[in-house]
Amino acid sequence: MDYFVLQATNGAIIGVIYALIAVGVTIIFSILKIVNFAHGDLYMLGGYTAYYAITFLGAPPLGALALSMAALFLFGALVERLLLTPLYSERTERKDEYGLLVTFGLAFFLRNTALIVFGPFPLRPRSFVPGVAHLGSLTVTWDRIFAGALGVALIIGLLYFMHRTLWGQALDAVSQSRESAAIVGINPRLFNSLAFAVGAALAAAAGALIAPVYSLAPDMGVLPNIQAYVVVILGGMGSVVGSIVAGILLGEAEGLFTAFFPDPTRALAYTNAFGVLVLMAVLLVRPTGLFGRRHVRME
Amino acid sequence: MGLAGVVVLVTLGVMLGPLQALLGAAEPIKLGWVGPLSPPGGYADGQLMKDAAMLATDEINAKGGVLGRRLEVSYQDTRGLPEEGTAAAERLISQEHVVAIMGEFHSSVFLAEMEVAHKNGIPIVAVDVWANKITAMGYPEVFRVAPCQALIATQWGNWIAAAGFKNVAVLYEKTDGGQSARDVLLPILRAHGIRYDVVGADLNQTDFTAQIERFKTHTPPYDLFVTIFSEAGLYPLVQQSYSAGFAPTKHTGLTNSGGPATTPTFWKNVGEAGKYLLTEVPGLPRAKWNAITTAFVANFKKRFNSPPTPQAIESYDAEYILADAIKRAGTTDPKALIAALEKTNIVLGRGRYTFATDHTPDWHYHQFVDAPVHLIQYDTVGQPPDGAPVVWPRNLATVSYVYNRPPR
Repeated sequence: MDYFVLQATNGAIIGVIYALIAVGVTIIFSILKIVNFAHGDLYMLGGYTAYYAITFLGAPPLGALALSMAALFLFGALVERLLLTPLYSERTERKDEYGLLVTFGLAFFLRNTALIVFGPFPLRPRSFVPGVAHLGSLTVTWDRIFAGALGVALIIGLLYFMHRTLWGQALDAVSQSRESAAIVGINPRLFNSLAFAVGAALAAAAGALIAPVYSLAPDMGVLPNIQAYVVVILGGMGSVVGSIVAGILLGEAEGLFTAFFPDPTRALAYTNAFGVLVLMAVLLVRPTGLFGRRHVRME
Repeated sequence: MGLAGVVVLVTLGVMLGPLQALLGAAEPIKLGWVGPLSPPGGYADGQLMKDAAMLATDEINAKGGVLGRRLEVSYQDTRGLPEEGTAAAERLISQEHVVAIMGEFHSSVFLAEMEVAHKNGIPIVAVDVWANKITAMGYPEVFRVAPCQALIATQWGNWIAAAGFKNVAVLYEKTDGGQSARDVLLPILRAHGIRYDVVGADLNQTDFTAQIERFKTHTPPYDLFVTIFSEAGLYPLVQQSYSAGFAPTKHTGLTNSGGPATTPTFWKNVGEAGKYLLTEVPGLPRAKWNAITTAFVANFKKRFNSPPTPQAIESYDAEYILADAIKRAGTTDPKALIAALEKTNIVLGRGRYTFATDHTPDWHYHQFVDAPVHLIQYDTVGQPPDGAPVVWPRNLATVSYVYNRPPR
């Protein structure tokens, strides 16, 4: 039982990080109706920003996290303004393909620029909370506990923002219909920028939280990017709640699969594939994902 | 065209021959370098290997080049992908007309590159790729300066037996290099009656906690955790293993084969978790450094502000080996180069280089059989690899113990 609880705890923590990354993808998709292939690289940049805030500014880890989120918020807004405004123009014919190509190109640009600027060697920032927690028979690092707890706090904060504030409700309105939102006086362009900025900030938070656990490398965002899309599709494209539930579900599924798959010599190697298998099984039963909406396209 | 025109044309044609020869003598000798410089490859190691090759190029040219001609190296980023390796080799041979190729950090990529080199009859020197298959294929164009897994994993197997371990967990990367290591190591463990379990992992894996917790539940408990992992995923693996209280502890040792435990940022990433870890160094132990090794380390540090890795010195030596072969051959003709490479007998930063020409065992062919490999065990946080105690082989050991068991 202790073994199960330990594996489930670790799985849940990683699931929260998946959820944090995936929620950013979902918000961007809901509002801008594009798949952001550079999301994993925003996660990477968030981690590095926190690292350099600690190293060069002497910021405490929590302060570095806030700084990282703020910096990537602004960066996200800038990227949206500079690269994505053709999405809103009538002259752009193939909006889906445009979004795909631009974000794909941005991903390569950010990754290779990071390689030049930050160097090829992995880096590891100071722990948020050093040491290991012994909770009964459980042994979990304080960094993981902190990452999970703060990730949950950020997700709760996001849900509050989306459902209880005017800005969040306006974002939801734009995600449902840009034209209708514009009619009632909501500026879609402003909320496009806000959506990308919030998505980037959430990715940055995930990167900064997990950096003491996984280390930083220019290509650290590649696998989380893929996992984020598994989570988003599993949860349902456009559903924030779906991304949260699916993220945690995926983290748990992967952790428990590695822990209990009958052949211990193959468990770890098949873990990622198992996650995709779960996705396929859910889509067969619910093609729009767990909480998805139909017919979500760029207007 | 009149008779005068024909005479002019013929005269020009006759002149072009010697003119071309004159120009040719001033043309640089082009070599190709291949290796990972960007993701998803091992770009950290690739960059250090490229830096070392650049250092070698500048040194050789400063001394007048080879056969009175400058050496020019074309660097190709293979990104750790076999298809990129193939494209790079084809580009180097067909477009850049290199006389030889050297480099690579990933066995699977080199296996693709060497097919192109073999098809074109161009010599290719494997710098830091360890899969036995590379020389076992028996291609006359292929030479290897790194040790192969038959040499490395054998050292590990013999050390594991000598240190008295009985129950081993092996985590290996699912690549040609990792599988080759596994294939050499496991029979040695079996021969010594050592129990083992083997788990494969993708090279981009970063969360090992679930697997480590699973290892901890094994009965009887493992007394050694062997990791065969060549890239940055080793750092979270070591961290997570240590944090989980699995290894290194007084009950369970920890080893790594693959190289990342000797890179400049190893300690920054693992901290206390790296103390008592064992790893191999495919180079000379400090006590055996010669003047070339010492000079290379100093010059590399001065120029690149970073200590070199063993892979870097392999890259440096590989270029000197090619330069030496060209000089002895007196030509850049590929067949003559290959013949000259077979007769290599030169002392460089990793000792005296010669290449075997027999096929017994199959990996022997064109392998630097005396490639130095020794095992070190860190006993202090922040310790450089050349300052760590050498525990194996015993004729090179700098300490009386075979294994330093952690106190906790």
